[in-house]
Amino acid sequence: MYGLDAISAHNGWQLSALGISIVFTGLMILSLIIAQIHKVLEFWDRKHTYWQRIKKLVRRKHRSEETASDLVLPKNVKESTHRFKLLIEQMGEPFSLPKLLGFSKKCGILHSRSSVNELLRAKLIIPDGNGYFLWNHEIEKNIKVSMKTSS
Amino acid sequence: MVNLLIEFLSNTGFALAGYQNIIMILVGIVLIYLGVAKGYEPFLLIPIGFGVLMGNIPVIRDFGLGIYEKGSFLNYMYYGVMHDIYPPLIFLGVGALTDFSAMLARPSLMLLGAAAQVGIFSTFLGALALGFAPNEAASIGIIGGADGPTAIFLTAVLAPHLIGPIAIAAYSYMALVPVIQPPIMRLLTSRKERLIRMEDPREVSKKEKMIFPIIGFLLCCFIAPGALPLLGMLFFGNLLKESIVAERLARAARTSIIDSVTILLGVAVGASTQGDIFLTSKSIGIFILGASAFAVATASGVLFAKFMNLFMRQKINPLIGAAGVSAVPNSARVVQIVGQKEDPTNFLLMHAMAPNISGVIGSAIAAGILWSFLGG
Repeated sequence: MYGLDAISAHNGWQLSALGISIVFTGLMILSLIIAQIHKVLEFWDRKHTYWQRIKKLVRRKHRSEETASDLVLPKNVKESTHRFKLLIEQMGEPFSLPKLLGFSKKCGILHSRSSVNELLRAKLIIPDGNGYFLWNHEIEKNIKVSMKTSS
Repeated sequence: MVNLLIEFLSNTGFALAGYQNIIMILVGIVLIYLGVAKGYEPFLLIPIGFGVLMGNIPVIRDFGLGIYEKGSFLNYMYYGVMHDIYPPLIFLGVGALTDFSAMLARPSLMLLGAAAQVGIFSTFLGALALGFAPNEAASIGIIGGADGPTAIFLTAVLAPHLIGPIAIAAYSYMALVPVIQPPIMRLLTSRKERLIRMEDPREVSKKEKMIFPIIGFLLCCFIAPGALPLLGMLFFGNLLKESIVAERLARAARTSIIDSVTILLGVAVGASTQGDIFLTSKSIGIFILGASAFAVATASGVLFAKFMNLFMRQKINPLIGAAGVSAVPNSARVVQIVGQKEDPTNFLLMHAMAPNISGVIGSAIAAGILWSFLGG
């Protein structure tokens, strides 16, 4: 038997189509896998760094939760918190503490020094490491208010 | 006394030789000439050519001298061919010699090695159309993989009676890659395409190179278990090379083992081409189909590279598609030569090694698939 009849009789078309598809699929999968090897290895090589980062993140979250749960601000400071926040939003971040105190006096916030001190202790105002300060939005969400007022 | 002399003379090669032996001896001399004078694959063509001479010395039957006579020296050498011992050992050496970095750096180029395997399956169809049995057609088709050991490996299983012509065709065409490929490459590409410069591949880490042979072996052999002996030894050889700690074994694999086996394989394959077995109409068909397999494989690789360029942001030089036919590293060298004819400062060799090596893997997978389809 010759020609197309021979090919059809021996399932030539099916064998060829299937054969080349398998070769293509095999090499395609292999190429996809080996394209990822260096990424996986990079991740593996830096696993300690990633692990440390994850641990730090977890620890920070845990600490902020702890801080937040322990954070009990006097009622009057809580009230001034809102006003300080508005002031800082106007001043822009990062801001300097003397400037904040100056503005707060101008705006007539009472006991501004002690209030800022409370906010610093509560880590609502945090240093940015360059001599300026930032408003801590994370902590702000978790503030509990005590019934007592500061003296 | 006279009777003894007459008997002696009647047993000499001069008396026993037929025209087929003479033709084959001439073929053997041509192969040796190509290897020595032209430098075409000398490591293969010289042993094969001399094997052809050895196999075509006419000897008296049942004297235990011929390659097909049990217990003869040549028969023992041929055992390694018939029982698929030599091809995997050659692959061990190839693995220990090959640096897979180019392929690992740009895995998408592996698809060019897959595309070139179209030559195998199209030739399989052609051989079926010419009246060859499916197992013979598959063995002929694998010539398109441009991989001598793979061709011998599959033929020994599917059509052992065709080992001689198929091996000679595969190795001859591998040697003639610098002659067969360039016209096809130029025909299918424009000058602008041949001038495309490719970005330097990224650096591949040692760990990547060490992990690849294990992943590659597991994946390929799960897909095509029939390729286990070939791919197993290829990746094992590569692991020896890349692991560094087994450098002595890697050195043995890429020097003494591959050299010894090449000699045994070449001589045994050459000697199996006895005139009366080799010079048949089938052999002529095999040679014609083998040439077309090479041409189709080259064209498929180049055309697929052009097809990939339709979707890729970083264009690839379509010439490197021609290296997908295996024939490591000859076809990659041909790509470099053709590319440098257009632009002497364009270095494509490194890029061409990626499809070249994936072509080796692809043809071994194709052999495994054909074996599983037709070997049962």
